[in-house]
Amino acid sequence: MATVDYPLEKSRRQREFSLSEALYSWVATVDHKRLGLMYMTSAIIFFLIAGVMAMVIRAQLIVPENHVVGPQTFNRLFTMHGTTMVFLVGMPIIAGMSNYLIPLMIGARDMAFPRLNAFGYWIFLFGGILLYFSYLGANGLFGAGSAPDVGWFAYAPLTERAFSRGTSTDYWILGILVSGIGSIVSAINVIATTLSMRCKGMKLSRMPLFVWVMVVDAWMVILALPPLTAGQVMLLFDRYLGANFFNTQAGGSAVLWQHFFWIFGHPEVYILIFPAFATVSEVVPVFSRKPIFGRQAMVGAVVAIGFISFGVWAHHMFAVGMAPISNIFFATASFLVAVPTGVKIFNWLATIWGGKIRFATPMLFCVAFIFQFLIAGLTGVMLAVTPFDWQLTDSYFVVAHFHYTLTGSFLFGVFAAIYYWFPKATGKMLSETIGKWHFWLLVIGFHLTFDPQHILGILGMPRRVYTYAPGRGWEPWNMISSIGAAIQAIAIICFAWNVIRALIKGERAGDDPWDAWTLEWTTTSPPPEYNYETDPEVRSSRPLWDLKHPEDPDWKYE
Amino acid sequence: MAEEDTKHDYPDAVDMPAPSFWPMILAFGVTLLLTGIVTNYVVTLVGFVLSARAAVGWWRDVIPHELHEEVPVRHPADWAVPVRTTGRSVASLRVGAAHHRMRIPERVHPYKAGIWGGIAGGIAMAILACIYGQVAHGSIWYPVNLLAATVLPSISQAGETALGQFQLVAFGVAVGVHTITSILVGVLYAVTLPMFPRRAPLWAGFIVPLFWTGLIAATLALTNPALNDHINWIWFIACQIAFGLVAGFVAAKTQRIDTMQNLPFIERAAIESQWSEKPDGKGRQ
Amino acid sequence: MASSATQPVETEWRLPDRGTVGIISLILTEISLFSIFVIAYLFYIGKSLTGPFPKDVLEFPVLATICLLSSSGTIVFAEHALKHRKMAMFKMWWAVTIVLGLVFLYETGVEWHDLIYDKHLTIATNVFGSTFYSLVGLHATHVIVGMTFLLIVFIVTMRGFPIHTQIRRVTFLSWYWHFVDAVWVVVFTVVYIVGR
Repeated sequence: MATVDYPLEKSRRQREFSLSEALYSWVATVDHKRLGLMYMTSAIIFFLIAGVMAMVIRAQLIVPENHVVGPQTFNRLFTMHGTTMVFLVGMPIIAGMSNYLIPLMIGARDMAFPRLNAFGYWIFLFGGILLYFSYLGANGLFGAGSAPDVGWFAYAPLTERAFSRGTSTDYWILGILVSGIGSIVSAINVIATTLSMRCKGMKLSRMPLFVWVMVVDAWMVILALPPLTAGQVMLLFDRYLGANFFNTQAGGSAVLWQHFFWIFGHPEVYILIFPAFATVSEVVPVFSRKPIFGRQAMVGAVVAIGFISFGVWAHHMFAVGMAPISNIFFATASFLVAVPTGVKIFNWLATIWGGKIRFATPMLFCVAFIFQFLIAGLTGVMLAVTPFDWQLTDSYFVVAHFHYTLTGSFLFGVFAAIYYWFPKATGKMLSETIGKWHFWLLVIGFHLTFDPQHILGILGMPRRVYTYAPGRGWEPWNMISSIGAAIQAIAIICFAWNVIRALIKGERAGDDPWDAWTLEWTTTSPPPEYNYETDPEVRSSRPLWDLKHPEDPDWKYE
Repeated sequence: MAEEDTKHDYPDAVDMPAPSFWPMILAFGVTLLLTGIVTNYVVTLVGFVLSARAAVGWWRDVIPHELHEEVPVRHPADWAVPVRTTGRSVASLRVGAAHHRMRIPERVHPYKAGIWGGIAGGIAMAILACIYGQVAHGSIWYPVNLLAATVLPSISQAGETALGQFQLVAFGVAVGVHTITSILVGVLYAVTLPMFPRRAPLWAGFIVPLFWTGLIAATLALTNPALNDHINWIWFIACQIAFGLVAGFVAAKTQRIDTMQNLPFIERAAIESQWSEKPDGKGRQ
Repeated sequence: MASSATQPVETEWRLPDRGTVGIISLILTEISLFSIFVIAYLFYIGKSLTGPFPKDVLEFPVLATICLLSSSGTIVFAEHALKHRKMAMFKMWWAVTIVLGLVFLYETGVEWHDLIYDKHLTIATNVFGSTFYSLVGLHATHVIVGMTFLLIVFIVTMRGFPIHTQIRRVTFLSWYWHFVDAVWVVVFTVVYIVGR
């Protein structure tokens, strides 16, 4: 450090140290498109792992008193399934989609902080690996411990040292804490990119709805994730330093953990659904050949959902015995969410209405999304009614409700996004035929799996039981549910086959296969490292429409 | 976005951020730093050393200037095909155009019309109901008491004679319930009248009253058992139709006022901004 | 395509600086983190089952508070000097900022030593101990991080690095330092005034 030299050729010098150019170019990349693809690939791998866990769970529950896995393994399975799906599938998909698409959509060459972007990806990946290392590294009581088994929301005091021996819970804390750093870093990057990197003419009022939704999502991430981190740090202090935050014997409060977790947890579920909102808001107009209905109202609704989501967390806690005034407040606030959400659903429908609809695979997934998200919202309103929640909390009704939001809505939205933007990212088209097989198998499998679970919940089946006694009327519904899960697995295999097939011998996509309107379709597929040769300029929210229809450009009306 | 390759007006190379592996090393270091808690303090030490080294490496990448590398721009032959204009022209939706599927009430009745219509309809309905009471049961108070039974369960237990007598409390309750309901339904009429597909008198006067009569018939056993026991459906329907005709007529007679449905949100909200400047002042809905 | 160019694109096109946006977002996320620890502290006031209690053991850290708050002023002076290329003044005020920060950390260390060894309050003693050490410790951690960066800037400047080329980054560091100060005002109010 004595003589500080900063030669510009340093990057070339570093290349000489690398073992192989190819590996180096991926490990050291700061390109937003490569990082976006790395995020998506990692997320899909974790998705497959967590999906296999779900299959084992459904196999265990297919008949009463089954013995595919034991109770301990079952606890680990649902904990790791939930944790993986939320933190290692949902969060990286958000980061991956915003990374890949936002710079292209706003006409930028890269994210605002490219190195930070790479850091965010790697720390997410290492956090995920750390969580899964618990299968090898966490030696619990009598050497029996393995993966975390405290549920994805890890309620205290079950997580206290006295009840959760060994280090599996610590792996849960650290794995999520580490990958959470990645989510926050990536969210800050998204905010800075959208505010500071827009091309000429890309005013906020002209920004694609996708970017709008994702930037609101990023704001929610940076405000909602720290409460979880804070709670986890307190839990670590409890477990390692003997602190008393959640230790009821010393005046601590186990309910406080629930508050901290859900202050994070409820915004988090909106954070997870937002990429689907973002995708549907882009795909539905293109495949209806109409501009989005009520653009400003859509933006307003997303911002409103973002705000309200921070005031509804305790509707997860109606059953812990809060004061009646709290129950009323949180129930009312939860009903309030239905208003902006309804605005969005109506506007999507109004966009489709009267349009010249093309039912390509991305559009199919969007239509299914709207339908399933509506049902998810309706059961959500039901659960927000406090006395109703008292009857059905922690039952399979709740499981069905949130799988409607996360599988039926989030996952369908993500598949729509993959079918829509895969040609841009790879230059190859996914097969429409296999895509339709994928779609219909997934729809059928999804409804077979989760529709009966509403009934199971009303019949009283609690969530997280590893088996159940015969004779309660639960058998046929569980049987149908497990069969549905198997059909979903076949659908996912179709998807994997479709992707591999397209990569090997897919039809060439061309620059603009969908006749779309946002900026990313003006460059080649896949885009060059620098995205655009010359800096784009936009005059309206649909720049490509203006170019394709000079006789009736959008900027006349905006 | 006009890209011509005749003149060489694009850059030869673009400055992109140089690749760096330090972010990955730092991420690994931070992970190890924390993993030490569940494994061994040596892991933390290694993590600390790695993080520190990576941080220094990172800083030297960005200070004093962020490291860039020049990426040569492709030959224009490899560029994206310039966006072509489509041959098709745009058929934009215009309010009032033929086969327009959208039905936007451009001009609506004021709420005031609904209130007056509701009151007038309510009076017409009350008169007809009283005539029914006089003709069928010899007392104009008979329907009044039945209506009050919605709120006052004691009346429903009273006998046939009590129903025919004047009761002050029941009268007050019945007038209150009748007035509020009439005005609310009247306002609903004023709002929905312009949206009825054709033949507004038919809809307002007959079909809609029949709809809510059906609704009342389905729920009356729960909301007002006394009325359910004593109801004469023919007269009841006649009363409803009288209301519908009079309320619809009074509301429809008023002057319509412009809505701002076809103005953009910004103008409706009366916000002054750059968006409100418009070349031709016509919003697209 | 020519006709679409009839509508001129905005000639003046200014966007906020990415670093500014980034550092503001970082500070917001830190505020969110601190607020949870503050809420935990407020929630647990008076919930300790055993002593020692705040009113028995806590004393106003007057010197530490004065030092930390005045360091916010001296860093502004340093920044100002740097913008006007008065390098000697910059080094002087920067050094003063570092000394003030170190005094704060030293005072905190003395306070903690006193609490742990003389007054027998550890993080495991009661919920007061848990919340006190975590909240004050979280703040002290932020001071240490800020101090590390202040020291790095100081060392490279003394070694002749042209720090005036990095005014933007120095400004961001000073914003972070102001943030740490502002948090101390909240922590002080909650712990030493409300909590007692």
